[in-house]
Amino acid sequence: MSVIWLRTAAVLYACGLLYALIYVFWKNTRLFLPAMLAFGAGTVFHLVSIVELWTDTGHLPLANFYETSSVCAFLIAILFLLGYTYYRIAIFGVCIFPLVFFMTLIGATEFPVAPWSSPAIRNVWLTVHVATVLIGYATLTFAAVASVYYLLQERQLKRKQVMPSANRLPPLATLDRIISVSMNTGFVFITLATITGVVWAFIEDGTNWIGNPKIAFFLFTWAFYLAMIFLRISAGWRGRRIAWLAVGVLGCSLVTWATHFGLRSFWLK
Amino acid sequence: MRVALAGLNHKTAPVQIREKLALRSDEIPAVLLGMQALGAKEALILSTCNRVEITAALDEEMPADSLFDAVLHQRSTISLEAIRPHLYIYENGDAIRHLFRVAGSLDSMIVGEPQILGQLKQAYAQARDQGTVGTVLDAVISRALHVAKRIRSETEIGQSAVSVSYAAVELAREIFGSLAKKRILIVGAGKMSEGAARHLLRGGASEIFITNRTHERALEMAGLFHGQVIAYESYPQRLAEMDIVITSSAAPGFVLTREMVRRAIEVRKHQPMFLIDIAVPRNIDPFIDGLEHAFLYDIDDLQRLTDQNLRARREVAEQAEAIVREEVGRLEARLRERDVAPTIVSLQEQLEAIRQEALARYKGRLGLLTADQEQALEALTRGIVNKIAHGPISEMRRQAALQKTGEEVREAEFVTAVRRMFRLR
Repeated sequence: MSVIWLRTAAVLYACGLLYALIYVFWKNTRLFLPAMLAFGAGTVFHLVSIVELWTDTGHLPLANFYETSSVCAFLIAILFLLGYTYYRIAIFGVCIFPLVFFMTLIGATEFPVAPWSSPAIRNVWLTVHVATVLIGYATLTFAAVASVYYLLQERQLKRKQVMPSANRLPPLATLDRIISVSMNTGFVFITLATITGVVWAFIEDGTNWIGNPKIAFFLFTWAFYLAMIFLRISAGWRGRRIAWLAVGVLGCSLVTWATHFGLRSFWLK
Repeated sequence: MRVALAGLNHKTAPVQIREKLALRSDEIPAVLLGMQALGAKEALILSTCNRVEITAALDEEMPADSLFDAVLHQRSTISLEAIRPHLYIYENGDAIRHLFRVAGSLDSMIVGEPQILGQLKQAYAQARDQGTVGTVLDAVISRALHVAKRIRSETEIGQSAVSVSYAAVELAREIFGSLAKKRILIVGAGKMSEGAARHLLRGGASEIFITNRTHERALEMAGLFHGQVIAYESYPQRLAEMDIVITSSAAPGFVLTREMVRRAIEVRKHQPMFLIDIAVPRNIDPFIDGLEHAFLYDIDDLQRLTDQNLRARREVAEQAEAIVREEVGRLEARLRERDVAPTIVSLQEQLEAIRQEALARYKGRLGLLTADQEQALEALTRGIVNKIAHGPISEMRRQAALQKTGEEVREAEFVTAVRRMFRLR
């Protein structure tokens, strides 16, 4: 029964994730209150799930990675709620909502579910996953290319070597806008890809999926990306630093990609 | 008497040197009087962002490289040794040519820019007020102004819109893309910043803010560009709203410090700021360049960028150079004619004295003369004297005018001969 509560909590936390994605794009805070309410409701279900698992098993639910992930997510959620109550820092939500959602999602995969009800659904799911990954990588690559241009243009302007009229690089502000729009788009798709990927791996591999290094690396890339988005939005990071980060995230993504092909072919032998 | 010119400009000296020497207009009278005390017969000082030049009429003993002494008296931060490598010194024909080229905007950072003429006129007026302009400089400067007018009307030098301000607009585009909705702050309402504002407006900027120590001047300029005035005390607080800042203030010290800009950029959430410092001495702390999102360009940086766009204008400048050459020749001839003028005058005086003496001596022997006879006698003697003087005088003028340009103006041998022949002082 506890896993049902945990999944309910995960779904409610997903409202927070949705809010975070909308905020990243449009800086729209009107949805903050509903997201916060859903998030609060999520923590209640989360608590119920943890308590039930505790009473069922007779010990604190910290026996494996799934349980620790779930409890840790719960603690982060509680701290965020407390922090928000005292200091009204809403901006943390952009980082906390997705993080708590993913940790809870991982926690909710402790017990295997029935395999795919039909191969068609499995294929569609896999296609959606691969498509979102590729769209995410494409936009991320675009952001990284714009970042390289940004770094070049910035360096020229700083060295005072720009030849107005002869210079063919786009204006700095335009590059900055391209970087932020494509980075946000990329983030949405990579996040969707992460969700579909985790669910797919969970259904496919059962509870073993978490031990798969390529998935672990994928999650790490996503966390890196989340950190970058958060720094840009909350700390106002722009320009050189964000450009280098974008190039870094692209590098991680390439490694993730490489591990997928490398490992898959390795396993087929 | 000879014309000498010493100075340094944007080509020979970096802004770090120029800003130490640049004279505020209220410092100039004292320096002019100081130069007179040091022995210069006539003097004029032209001090702009791009040049500090002293033109003087000196007698033969005074060396031209002492022209900067009076300026250096006022400046404890810099020595003659420090500026000597940047200094150029011209005399006579070369000095006149240089001054003509400056007036005609051929020597400007932005060849053909019109401001220099006004600055020269102002320098001239200032020197006249102090009584340091005499016949020599008067002739040279008024001719220089005439040359500038000729160049402007006879060539297309002022036509193409290449200038420091234009370079600033182009750079703003490199940073911001479009200038629309960009906020521009102008610190110090002067001729230079007015030019920059005009270009930015033409480039699509709409929101211009002006701040100036004298509020009236700010209002005046705001009226010109439909801008808004910000009180001089409060512009640091509003810095964060501004995308582009242009400074051309005569205020001592930096009007923008690194700390001010750092804080502004933080408040702006690291959106870029474009800072243009067209003032000399500089208005903006050069260390601001180390801040990531601040792009600081001073007047020398802008010049480097405009240099290449100036090639076309240089060709036009060739025509202007021809005008300068022609005019220099004319003025030199005239000045040398002026050189023989004292000899001519004393020759005439000498002959007149001889005539008077002879008349006085023979008046008694002639007895009583009628008015008619008296007049005839006067005309007769005067005619003889003039006939005698005519040959030497016209020959002296001709010789003076013939002397080659650039040759040292020495008293011609012919003049010396005349002086000896007639026993002139």
